[in-house]
Amino acid sequence: MSATTHPRGLFDAQVISNRQICREHFRLVLSVKDFPAAAPGQFVQLGCRDPHAPPDEPDEHEWIDADDPGLRTRSLVAPTPLLRRPFSLAGAEPDPQRPGCTLLEIIHRVVGLGTARLAGLREGDAIDLLGPLGNGFPLPRAGQRAVLVGGGVGIPPMIYLARALGAADVGGVAVCGVTTADLLPLTWADGVAADPQGLPTRCIREFADFGIDAVVASDDGSVGVPGRVTVALQRVLDHLALPAGDVVVYTCGPERMMRAVTEMSQARGLTTWVCMERSMACGMGTCQSCVCRVNDKSSDDGWRYRLVCTDGPVFDGRVLIWD
Amino acid sequence: MKNPLTTASGTSGYAFEYGDFVDLRLLGAFVTKSITLHPRKGNAPPRIIETRAGMLNAIGLANVGLEAFVAEKVPQLREMGLPVFVNVAGTAIDDYCQVARRLNEVDVVRGLELNISCPNVKEGGISFGTDCGQVAGITSAIRAAAPDKVLVVKLSPNVTDIAATAAAAVDAGADALSLVNTFTAMAVDVDRRRPMLSNGNGGLSGPAIRPIAVYMVHRVYSQVARKHNIPIMGMGGIQTARDALEFLIAGATALSVGTALFVDPTAPVKILDGLADYCRRHNLSALREVIGSLQFPEPGKGYKSTYA
Repeated sequence: MSATTHPRGLFDAQVISNRQICREHFRLVLSVKDFPAAAPGQFVQLGCRDPHAPPDEPDEHEWIDADDPGLRTRSLVAPTPLLRRPFSLAGAEPDPQRPGCTLLEIIHRVVGLGTARLAGLREGDAIDLLGPLGNGFPLPRAGQRAVLVGGGVGIPPMIYLARALGAADVGGVAVCGVTTADLLPLTWADGVAADPQGLPTRCIREFADFGIDAVVASDDGSVGVPGRVTVALQRVLDHLALPAGDVVVYTCGPERMMRAVTEMSQARGLTTWVCMERSMACGMGTCQSCVCRVNDKSSDDGWRYRLVCTDGPVFDGRVLIWD
Repeated sequence: MKNPLTTASGTSGYAFEYGDFVDLRLLGAFVTKSITLHPRKGNAPPRIIETRAGMLNAIGLANVGLEAFVAEKVPQLREMGLPVFVNVAGTAIDDYCQVARRLNEVDVVRGLELNISCPNVKEGGISFGTDCGQVAGITSAIRAAAPDKVLVVKLSPNVTDIAATAAAAVDAGADALSLVNTFTAMAVDVDRRRPMLSNGNGGLSGPAIRPIAVYMVHRVYSQVARKHNIPIMGMGGIQTARDALEFLIAGATALSVGTALFVDPTAPVKILDGLADYCRRHNLSALREVIGSLQFPEPGKGYKSTYA
């Protein structure tokens, strides 16, 4: 499943829609021509420029004429931020309207300059992206059940994974943790509520559409199970009551959450796939900035760094060393 | 070199990391990331932070080490069909010399780029590059250790007068100079009152440093390189053909694209196209006609006020 063996590239993308879906999250849908096959867990590096922002200088365009040498790399000039921003794919589907194009779905939260620029994108805008980057989640074997544990902006890759599980006819439960109700970047299914005790229901449309039940936990108790996502996870695992070999856990979210999830699932002997997040410059394996520590018996001190961008972002929970 | 465009060390990996994105064979040369005698894990994260119009890095020379490089990466470099320059780093002169001696035996390596200016290694590193005596000492030691290779010395910009360290390197046997490396810099997390990078300080790169780098290239060209006929590989925030032309006109013979590769690995190829357009528009038979062609008109006359 190593993505480095798959084609990757720099692609122009057209904004199909960019809607605010809760207090701080946006759902951005892009259409990209000739985008390579992608998998859940993979990510893209988006150029975060707002095409509607006024020029930084009043005479910025004065020197631009049709054959100016600066034009060819115009996208790199002036508008900040300089670097791209990495986003997990929340979906990648053939575009029904545009032959040969793929619809990429990205859920982003406005946390800084780059995501603020993304929030300003409108239908028809052009941006570019690098992708698909990284490896992906290994899917469960036939007969296994998947437990998808997403926290906050770690939820989007779980939406894509649910789609793949549905296609593979694998059942499962999504456990979604948020700090408070209006930061849940998901859609409620009509007439089905989240169970406050942690009983899985078809309450979230993004999961229910693919036969996946969901449990929601909120730190402030404003929705679903009050408390951390691990409280809900424990109830879900108890509820499933399956042998260890029949359950695979997938997690993405804040690092402390993923650590707690990994420790809980490993205590029960469950295979755990962790989708790591790191700030990164390139996403292509060159800048060496997005390192995480993994066990390595061949190393003198028992560990080594691996790159989240190309060795990951998905790692086996058994090899990760939590800092 | 069939054209002046190269990759800046540390921004394009060991060989074909960008192979899916760009045809590296279109470049004039390839410069690897820094290789040290022994493998290095590098610094703890966070290793980078974006700053306005630039980025700070403190990778800490993470690399596989000399032997793994020769065994695993050199065969890939053979496939490239380009002049290859291996960036060599270390913490003591003896380390550098051992790496240089071994690489002197590797035929695919055209030259060595001597990294005496990494700001992110606590031991040694930048100290080699900021003292003229040390620059001369390490340059002549490597010259002797790798007599068959083109020796490029990469200068630190963290000095009072870069022409002085440039002269020291040239006098000690450098065949070419590359400049500039990153500027030692810091960004602060104001909420927690601590550095943004785990290393504390890092090296600043990107468009933020370009005007300083252009100045330093011109200073080294006019004070040292022109009279010794020593080529300069210019770098520091190059993103566009216009940026590249600034360096060429200031005196650079070759150009390295670094930070821009992280955003667009095809940037050097786009720059080559832009340079070809420039030659057509200015009726130049060869790009080399612009090298070092900077003119200084009478004060107040012939200057264009615009946004650079």
